[in-house]
Amino acid sequence: MTNETELIEQLKQGDQTAFKTIVEQWQDMVYNTILGIVQNETEAEDLAQDVFIKVFEKIDSFKGDSKFSTWLYRIATTTALDHLRSKKRKKRFGFLKSMSGGDGDNKDQVADFHHPGVSLDNKERAAVLFKAIEALPENQKLAYTLHKLEGLSYRDVSEVLNTTVSAVESLMSRANQNLRKQLEEYYNKHYR
Amino acid sequence: MTQKEKIHEEIERTLQSLDGTKRAEANPFLFTRIKARMNRKANAWEGVFSFISKPAIAIAILLIVMAVNGWALWSSGAGDEIAGSDSGNASELANEYNTVASVNNYDYENMTSE
Repeated sequence: MTNETELIEQLKQGDQTAFKTIVEQWQDMVYNTILGIVQNETEAEDLAQDVFIKVFEKIDSFKGDSKFSTWLYRIATTTALDHLRSKKRKKRFGFLKSMSGGDGDNKDQVADFHHPGVSLDNKERAAVLFKAIEALPENQKLAYTLHKLEGLSYRDVSEVLNTTVSAVESLMSRANQNLRKQLEEYYNKHYR
Repeated sequence: MTQKEKIHEEIERTLQSLDGTKRAEANPFLFTRIKARMNRKANAWEGVFSFISKPAIAIAILLIVMAVNGWALWSSGAGDEIAGSDSGNASELANEYNTVASVNNYDYENMTSE
């Protein structure tokens, strides 16, 4: 912890070595969080770069009221969600998409994202689950991703989302309900 | 086992498919890429500043600013004249309207008194 505080202080002075250490120490955490939300490896890498550039530029605004990792998770999740929103906007107004009849129902698209950390025997099912996660409302998606992929406790998730533990429990319960519903629809169509 | 039960089991398995997922690893050259991007960003701003600070460009910008200011002054002077004539017209109109209004009012009073 002291080491972390020292690093942050050094980064506030513009120390490049401290910045490098911070990037190397938290890059997997940031990348994995973003990847779970945007479900695209190239985009996740670009966004992870954005996150660390923001960290370098905004470190002075970090007052130490929360844990550094919580602050970092907040930047990562906000960056990822902003990216998804802008992608959605572009899609909505995309001329070609509208010509071809819009992007249609999300559930009927092929489940094509494979998270590199999923074991081989779970690969296909996880891809189906990721497709369902994609359709969750933002807050449920964040809570579910942080808990399931980053292994955060409900308390940690509540700190990142700046809410209460009971609110996170409720988000998780609704996320599970929604996922079950979507999976039921999916398997009713595709189960052989 | 019925189809419904099979689907139910498949849903449960799918929901558990992320259990024990390992953390995805970032590109080992992430820091190098971040540095490169930060340098590109800094260079882009340097480019803008060095372009603006060229004497010819700086003088051209100054002349444009002076021209815009001159035009703004000239048009505000012309605007005053127009505004003056407008206010004249407006007062004439108001007078006329008041007259009409008072006549109407007078007439109306006369009508009620009748």
